[in-house]
Amino acid sequence: MNLAVFVKHVPDAAEADLRIGPDGRSVRAEDLPFQMNEWDRFALEEAARLKEATGGSLTAFLIGPGEHEDSLRRCLAVGADRAVRVWDESFPTLGPAAVARALAAAVGEERFDLYLCGAQAADDGYAVVGPTLAVLLGVPWAALVCRLELQDGRIVCDRELEAGWFERVELALPALVTVQTGINEPRYVSILGIRKARSKPLEVRGLADLGVDPDEIGRLGALTRLEALEPPPPGREAEMLEGSPAEVARKAVAVLREKGGVL
Amino acid sequence: MAQACSKRRKWRGFRPPSLLAFQRAKAQKRWFVGKLRDIEGVPLAERYELAACLQCGRCTGGCPVGLRSPLNSRRLLYEALIREDGEVLVEREEVWDCTACRTCADRCPRGLEPVSVIREIRTLKIEEGRIPQTVMDALESALKHGNPWGRSRRKRFAWADGLGVPTLEEGDEAPNLWFVGCTPAYDPRCQEAARALAGILRAAGYPFTTLGNEESCCGSEMLRLGELGLFEELAEANRALLDEVAPETVLTTSPHCMNALRTDYDPAVSALHFSQVLARLADEGRIPFRREVPLRVAFHDPCYLGKQNGVYEEPRAAIAAVPGVELVEFDRSRERSLCCEGGGGRMWLEGLGEGERNAQQRVRTAADMGVDAVVTACPFCLLTLEDARKTAGLEDALEIVDLAELVWRGVEDLPDPCGLETRS
Repeated sequence: MNLAVFVKHVPDAAEADLRIGPDGRSVRAEDLPFQMNEWDRFALEEAARLKEATGGSLTAFLIGPGEHEDSLRRCLAVGADRAVRVWDESFPTLGPAAVARALAAAVGEERFDLYLCGAQAADDGYAVVGPTLAVLLGVPWAALVCRLELQDGRIVCDRELEAGWFERVELALPALVTVQTGINEPRYVSILGIRKARSKPLEVRGLADLGVDPDEIGRLGALTRLEALEPPPPGREAEMLEGSPAEVARKAVAVLREKGGVL
Repeated sequence: MAQACSKRRKWRGFRPPSLLAFQRAKAQKRWFVGKLRDIEGVPLAERYELAACLQCGRCTGGCPVGLRSPLNSRRLLYEALIREDGEVLVEREEVWDCTACRTCADRCPRGLEPVSVIREIRTLKIEEGRIPQTVMDALESALKHGNPWGRSRRKRFAWADGLGVPTLEEGDEAPNLWFVGCTPAYDPRCQEAARALAGILRAAGYPFTTLGNEESCCGSEMLRLGELGLFEELAEANRALLDEVAPETVLTTSPHCMNALRTDYDPAVSALHFSQVLARLADEGRIPFRREVPLRVAFHDPCYLGKQNGVYEEPRAAIAAVPGVELVEFDRSRERSLCCEGGGGRMWLEGLGEGERNAQQRVRTAADMGVDAVVTACPFCLLTLEDARKTAGLEDALEIVDLAELVWRGVEDLPDPCGLETRS
């Protein structure tokens, strides 16, 4: 079974004091540590397990500058046979549709049995690259997959709906799935493992190598436009507890007693 | 003195190397952790001379978690000797119970290293990628943030907010570098001990500086969890800083950092534990004690300070220097000190066995001895003993005090030397 996984290298915003950039449309990321997108880790693990179970190949794709190759090295360490990084200076402003177009162009004439994406990215959270890519590749797709089983040239997926509901769908291969967190337990990738994977091929392609009209990328990029970013307003029910850790704990218990209904 | 940090300007531009820089360094064979190199392909049994094992069982008998955990170092050594494929070994979940206290190696009559064999088995598990989630989180955090606690690098120095603690980032040069460590920097309980130490050093007129946010995890626990590559990354980041700063003395808050710098870094960094610095300052009469501290205390020897580095006298000398303190000894003290189970990565692992933890046993013993406080000098011991005091229901009967806090209590009614608020 030939598999393709699409990953993104994103800033880790946990614990960070996020600041909006001077353009008002971006988050200042220069001091933030980067890592593989959380959802993509699960997609990668699922792809690696399918490869281990069925044989075949696994190719990893990423759009990003050279610093983002850490995520591709991680893919190679987990079991990808080769990796493709696509980058052009014009890409930072790409909207999700243009990203999907660039990824489809990177796949090019190659055909895979199953394409796996994370359900969404931790930074912009559009969750539309996967489905758009499926349309461009002309394959059926299922989003928010939290269980995946291979059956005679088809896959059976459980999709997460709301309030604990799931939908079971069957897709003919080739197909694309966007993977929800929790579908598996991603393995640890050791530094030695990443070093060993350095001998595996990592190909870098520019816009000119993709064989796609830059105007088309631009047109798709313009389909969505980010107007402005604002920090969320403080919630009306939010109350900041202040004091020493012991005082904060006492106040928190008092609040839970009074309003939480748990004590 | 000033020339100690003569290369600081170059240092200020330094950032911990990216993975790519790291890989370039490897390609150019610029390696300093020589002892970890070229070990692949040589079987465990050969590397650790396991054929010399008598199977006497002193390692298992001396193991501080042996009574509770299925961990059996004698059996692991035998399996490593007769099964070179490692398949049996890699299935052994109990290797995560090891606290890397080194009692097994100390007691082995043939000078073998069961603790290192256990670490190697952990490495096999790490390379397979199937490790406990809590360990995975700690390792990934150490790679990403330079500390195993999942906290931002930018908040590493927040413990010292408002204290006026000098840092090289601010251009504060000094011949002595205080390597603060992750747990004192981020854990709220251990931060109190770090603040006390800052107060003492300032009050004693001991010139020091710190690496501020630029300091990275020393890698001690990462190495003992079996993540050799990550240890090398962290060690290289710290090594680059230390080479640039070239301090006369490196002092550490944690015995684990001191041990890593002394024994795991290659070439070694001759680090001192803060207890050694305090003992010297007390001996020279430089600590301005102003207050009686009428406490009867027992000193809990941290494994990485005592057993592993032979530092037994200095913490006791520092305790004895505090006016009013009466020091009594545990039956199990010095070389026979009972491991608190905080080392070897156990801060991120519950352990398999059931029954009373060593730290609980320790605080119960202390309560029976009728002491007011257990004094220790290691952030991991401080945390495990504090937890044990609470779970054993001894919160009102016993205090757990860091050595720095004890000394600071004898000093703190001075006009506040570094903006420290007097704590009750």
